[in-house]
Amino acid sequence: MVYIKCRDVVAKISDIIDHEANLMTRMRFYGHIMMCKNCRRYFDQFKEVHALAGKVTADDLPPDFEQVMGAVMDEIEGHKDA
Amino acid sequence: MQGTGVFQGDSDDLTALKAGDSDAWRVVLVRYGPSLLAYATRLLGDRASGEEITQDSLVNIYRTIDRFDGRCSLKSWLYRAVHNRAIDEIRRRKRYVDVGDTGLEDYFNGGGRWRHDCLGWDGLAAKQLDDKRLLGRVQEQMGRLPHAHREVLLLKEVEGLDSAEICAALEISPGNLRLRIHRARAALRAAVVEA
Repeated sequence: MVYIKCRDVVAKISDIIDHEANLMTRMRFYGHIMMCKNCRRYFDQFKEVHALAGKVTADDLPPDFEQVMGAVMDEIEGHKDA
Repeated sequence: MQGTGVFQGDSDDLTALKAGDSDAWRVVLVRYGPSLLAYATRLLGDRASGEEITQDSLVNIYRTIDRFDGRCSLKSWLYRAVHNRAIDEIRRRKRYVDVGDTGLEDYFNGGGRWRHDCLGWDGLAAKQLDDKRLLGRVQEQMGRLPHAHREVLLLKEVEGLDSAEICAALEISPGNLRLRIHRARAALRAAVVEA
């Protein structure tokens, strides 16, 4: 198997996470990760932060939906009536 | 409406929207309004601006719906309109910060190996921070990232748009999107882990 450098491993992490890497890349990637403590740690951190970013929701920013959208609807209905 | 990146709603829906049917518009606002508002608010960094920009954008979308040709999804078109209006506002305030590379080259030596040990937590250390604190840290750091990083992370990780929708919304190529996503994630990792 062709050797892959740490720099290339780090560059491929998003492709791995998003399942966009082909089989050969995945084999090289995980082969390297098994052997390299620093890349393994970086990969773990990257995955953890990525997973947490996916949990960020708009729940903590409860938008005043009715008020904002109401103003838009007023414009739409006013325009139609005009 | 996901997947192919083109408008897949009923053509009657589009006809109704273009005819100014308020019921059809109400459906669109209920379906996409909250996400658009949340996106604008997070991108701009404050609630009042998010509301103002979202309102302006949606009214403008209503007025220009005849220009929508269905070559992308309606969802992408809506995000594009809100995004462009928000970026205009950020630029007007002269706060838009573009980004270059991730600075990752500093991590490696000429042979492509780690120059120093990878910094930050290991698995055990991460578990010592409870999930809520850790999530708070991610949210906080995401809000501090340059806009060019923040916009792709919000659309991809928070709003859950697929790649075709993001490309259409930001008017960028799939290759550019992959690069930007990776750079943004790497910047967020560095901000959260190495801070």
